[in-house]
Amino acid sequence: MSATWLARKLCVAIFLAWLVATIVFLSLHMVPGDPAELLLSTGGTSPDPYAVAELREKLGLERPLIAQYGSFLAGVLRGDLGNSLVDDYPVLQEIALRLPRTLELIAAGSLLAILVGVPAGVYAALHRGGAFDRAASWVTALLLAVPVFVVGTLLVLLFAQTLRLMPAGGFVAFSQDPAQHMKLLTLPAIAIAKGLAAVLFRMTRAAMLDALAHDYVRTARAKGLAPRRVVFVHVLRNALNPVVTVLGLHMGTLLGGTVLVEYVFNWPGMSTPLLRAVEGRDYPMVVGIVLTISVLFLLINLLVEVVHALLDPRIAHS
Amino acid sequence: MTISRRTLLAAGMATPLATLPILGRPAFAQRASGILRYGLSAFPPNLQPWVSTGASAGTVKLLIHRSLVSYGPDGNLRGELAESWSLDGEGAWVFKLRQGCVFHNGDPVTADDVKWSIEQIAGEKSTAYMRAQFQEVARVEIVDPATVRLVTKTPQATLPSWFGNYNTFILSRKSTPTEFIGAGPFRLVGQERGSSLELAPFDKFYRPGIPKVKGIKFVVYADENLRNAALQSGDVDMIEYVPWQSMAAVEADPRLKLTTQEGPFMDVLFNGTKPPFNDARVRRAVAHAVKRDDIVKVAFFGRGKPLEGVPIVEGTPWWDKELAHGWNYDPARAKALLTEAGYGNGFQTTLLATAQFGMHKDTAEIVQQYLAAIGIQCELQLPDWSTRVARGSKGQYDIAIHGVSADNNDPDGLTVVLDTSLSPAHGRSYRVDAPRTIAALAKGRGEFDQAKRVEIYKEMQRAALEEVPLVGLAWRSQGYGMDKSVEGFVNLPGALSNSSGNMLEQTYFG
Repeated sequence: MSATWLARKLCVAIFLAWLVATIVFLSLHMVPGDPAELLLSTGGTSPDPYAVAELREKLGLERPLIAQYGSFLAGVLRGDLGNSLVDDYPVLQEIALRLPRTLELIAAGSLLAILVGVPAGVYAALHRGGAFDRAASWVTALLLAVPVFVVGTLLVLLFAQTLRLMPAGGFVAFSQDPAQHMKLLTLPAIAIAKGLAAVLFRMTRAAMLDALAHDYVRTARAKGLAPRRVVFVHVLRNALNPVVTVLGLHMGTLLGGTVLVEYVFNWPGMSTPLLRAVEGRDYPMVVGIVLTISVLFLLINLLVEVVHALLDPRIAHS
Repeated sequence: MTISRRTLLAAGMATPLATLPILGRPAFAQRASGILRYGLSAFPPNLQPWVSTGASAGTVKLLIHRSLVSYGPDGNLRGELAESWSLDGEGAWVFKLRQGCVFHNGDPVTADDVKWSIEQIAGEKSTAYMRAQFQEVARVEIVDPATVRLVTKTPQATLPSWFGNYNTFILSRKSTPTEFIGAGPFRLVGQERGSSLELAPFDKFYRPGIPKVKGIKFVVYADENLRNAALQSGDVDMIEYVPWQSMAAVEADPRLKLTTQEGPFMDVLFNGTKPPFNDARVRRAVAHAVKRDDIVKVAFFGRGKPLEGVPIVEGTPWWDKELAHGWNYDPARAKALLTEAGYGNGFQTTLLATAQFGMHKDTAEIVQQYLAAIGIQCELQLPDWSTRVARGSKGQYDIAIHGVSADNNDPDGLTVVLDTSLSPAHGRSYRVDAPRTIAALAKGRGEFDQAKRVEIYKEMQRAALEEVPLVGLAWRSQGYGMDKSVEGFVNLPGALSNSSGNMLEQTYFG
């Protein structure tokens, strides 16, 4: 892995981030909907058009689109994503507040998925055709088929509404009440983990079966290496490449894909302000959040490629 | 390989057992501490006191601010910062301020603060919801530190009710654009942005013994089903906007109770600038074509009432049984009206609603079916709410479905939806010609004699039934669900249901 290779990847990532932000900025301004009118129409009321015009003036929406775009780009270069049109709150501060919550949810869900999916995939591969392998294949098919909002709703119905064991949803800061924070994190993390665990199970199982069929495994066994060493050092390490790729791609997707989970469980991460901002045409907020998600997605992809290159140096050379 | 099935199963069994210690119900902990936990349907976009940002924001604002008057449990105006109000001989409204009222910064509420607040609301750069109304105030005179006199440009019979709106508050003139100093029974003491708000009692509130709880924690549950689940699981003590499909479950739950009011309503709006809906006969045909029971049953799970006239709340002096059914379901009459207007063979048109809110979409689908039955073929257009609003205020539609609540139970509160001479807005018909209705509304606003006002508004209803500035479809039930231990809360009648947040000051745990 050379510095040139890394620099090239970084340049592509920056270009893609700019492209995404520009497309979102322009497309959002093209769709119907006036942020000032929407803000003053909350609850279905009909606002005074003079008040709407005054608010548009205050928000700078009367300026030409190119001027607004120029201000946006200049702000991004200064590290300023602007202020929300709804309450003048800095977009960057909103993201700084929300992003850790979303990342925490993704991390918890992913950790759960790794802890369940990878060992189960290894076990199923080592006991191919066994009862566990067959049962797990059915279960993962089911987990993949059922949409996340259905699982989320069922979890709420069962654990909150019926058994009253867990809170229905919401958020409490860890610093305020650690136990309640973990309780509130549990159900959404399970909802996020279910699909990823199924994918990781299948990927691990397939990659393990592929690796187990290689000659070097037979050689390792013939050398008299302990079965545990053969599996973990020779088979699993080689089988992990596709698993890491899938994990990286899914974690990137989860940045945008937690929308439903955050909504169903009332977890105030990035999704809530994003949805609200799209509905209210809060341009700076939408562009700021989408830009952040895109940059993170690109960084994760870059990280996956770096890890890949470290695991298999032929990738960087090619 | 030594990972056995037994090991795996053991690990699987151990996980839930390990989590058991964190499973417990804190449901009664906060109740014991006297904190009311309230499931809010939306996090307030902002808490600017005079700007309309929805009923949820209004609930919070009603508790941290105070106006000259408010609506009491019976739905009538009651004094707040003003202990009395009356008309003087010259037709000006005089408000006497109550002694002992103080703002949260400890300053007394004075006539100067009232004058300053009104001037801010009516100001040229104001974005206040009640700006247009308060611009009718020619001047605010300070008679003495405890008396203000409002001289209006034209007679305004409903002026006191302007101060009852949840977007009209008296603030300290020391307030800044970012820090609003109110005089409500609670103070905002904390918030988790996007998810919760915490209120603490204001110990110098003028009314003794109010508020009755030791605090309110508003927790936001945007999803109605989750909000209901939070109530049923005991996460919160009370919720607003109980989903219609869940009302029966809340009523059936022995731990919970439900209080409902029929205030908000669904209606059909028209574009009056082009045929065929510039013809009142066609609009009347639409009014007689729709069987409202089906809307109540399908869109609101039976939780509502058919609305076959102008949306006047039953039980108020303005309500008239005959007029209330002036647009009864009568497809034969609807067809006859179409024929009379020259559309005997029907026509094709578009019906604008939004897919973002189920009640709008469901209502639109039922209206579409009934209009088809009389020969009006509607192409349903269901964009997102933002697009619906933009197209509505620009008149980019033929007919549209809307849902709203009047400002109050006085017919003057319907001006915002009936007066089509006002600037175009998504919530009223686009330039529909309704001169008699509009004239009657103006006449009623300027009449102070109650008996005469009743007659004027009955005349207004007769005019509206003919001119059809909108078509009423259904009253929808607005419900608050709460734990049985929650006492003292009143869901205010009719259109005032959205102002019921005020009643949280007298709510307590029984």
